[in-house]
Amino acid sequence: MSLGMRQYRAMVRKDIIAELRTKEMVVSMFLFVVLAMIVFHYAFTVRGSVRLSLLTGGMLWVVFVFGALLGLNRSFVHEKDEGCLDGLLLCPVDRVTIFLAKTTANLVFLAIIQLLAVPVFLLFFSTSDVVSNLPGLLAVVVVADIGITTLGTLLATISMNTRSRDLLLPIIFLPLIIPLLIAAASGTAKVFNGDAGLSSLLGVLTFLVVYDAVFLVLAYGTYDFAIGE
Amino acid sequence: MARDGTPAPAPHAGGEPGAGAATGDGPEILVEGISKVFGRRDVLRDVSFTVERGGFLALFGPNGAGKTTTLRIVATLLSPSSGAVRVAGHDLKDDPMPVRRAIGFISHNPLLYRDLTAEENLRFYADMYGVTDDGRRIRDLLERVELSHRRFDVVRTFSKGMLQRLAIARALLHRPRVLLLDEPHSGLDPHAVDILDGLLDEIRSEHTFIMVTHSLRKGLELADQVMILDGGRIVFRQTGQVAEDAFAAVYREHVHEGALV
Repeated sequence: MSLGMRQYRAMVRKDIIAELRTKEMVVSMFLFVVLAMIVFHYAFTVRGSVRLSLLTGGMLWVVFVFGALLGLNRSFVHEKDEGCLDGLLLCPVDRVTIFLAKTTANLVFLAIIQLLAVPVFLLFFSTSDVVSNLPGLLAVVVVADIGITTLGTLLATISMNTRSRDLLLPIIFLPLIIPLLIAAASGTAKVFNGDAGLSSLLGVLTFLVVYDAVFLVLAYGTYDFAIGE
Repeated sequence: MARDGTPAPAPHAGGEPGAGAATGDGPEILVEGISKVFGRRDVLRDVSFTVERGGFLALFGPNGAGKTTTLRIVATLLSPSSGAVRVAGHDLKDDPMPVRRAIGFISHNPLLYRDLTAEENLRFYADMYGVTDDGRRIRDLLERVELSHRRFDVVRTFSKGMLQRLAIARALLHRPRVLLLDEPHSGLDPHAVDILDGLLDEIRSEHTFIMVTHSLRKGLELADQVMILDGGRIVFRQTGQVAEDAFAAVYREHVHEGALV
């Protein structure tokens, strides 16, 4: 195994072990996601006559984006404790490897939340036969998650050294995530409406892949600066 | 310009094989005219010094003098605004990876993950530095710092002294040639200080050191070169053994009267 791969695996494993031990990030994200769904459920079913399938895609992704934001804000807490970020930066590791490992860990945590939250969502907002459209839903979720965690990890890195990082991250993250949110919500709404084969999602998926690629390239070019002084 | 004292003693023979192969026969650490500006504040101004292989430089000065900034620049954690640094023959700016491999860093922060066990922390850093015999190396180092019995305990439960001992194991894990110590005795109880001093004595001949400290006695005991920084400049330096009383007088003269030599 190459040194870069060994370093990448070590960083991902370290973040996952720390999270399994504290459960701080996953529990807070999951609680937020479920509570937000309950709020949406009561807010949108008062009259009982609204066609929820028009709204569910948007609702789901608003909940996921804000849930992810909670996790991203905490993703560098372990590094800041006891000066561990210095320990990491002292290692002979390519800064892009640090970025990829952090993004992977954040992606794992977001995926865990989604695995737990989607059944709850279907319980509250039972729509058409989602199971038969599962490949389409999975494709949208995976590509959108990569975009959320790529952008989120880059911006969390930039904001972690500022005094008002809890405030700064949402301020810079939310405007930039809107294009992804629109595409993911549109794709998911198609799935919930039951008219989504993979071919009808092609436009959405292409947009999301381009979005991911843009921010991956941006992170590749700037991460050394972002995590430095 | 700094005042130079007696000539430096012959460098110690290198002990444990160090990480980061050297290129050339120059000094182990070469700092040439570095300056550092934060915003409008000059934190370091034209600082130059060398440390030969096996040498021990103790860096003194009041708070805000630029000692930690100097150490962080040598450690590659900060880049200088101007000037150059070479460690183990490698230029810090052009070739930082071998410099990082050559350096072990111990500060008053242990740089350890509180939610991982002692062994998990060391295994993580072993992976990061590509240590090949990691299992044996971790066992040996935990024995050396007397923490074998706590290897599976989460670091969050450790005392300050235990954390600092584990931090020493972390810093030595990849067999660095150069050890940078930033106030390593800070916040330790007398027993922990004794253990740390014992360890430093033990490894004294194996590495090249720079130690930032406020303790004249600790610094002078170990160092073969001393330097005082004040206001971002070197105001005094001397090589060879220095008597504590004489150095205390020099320190008071330069730091409190603000004289530049």
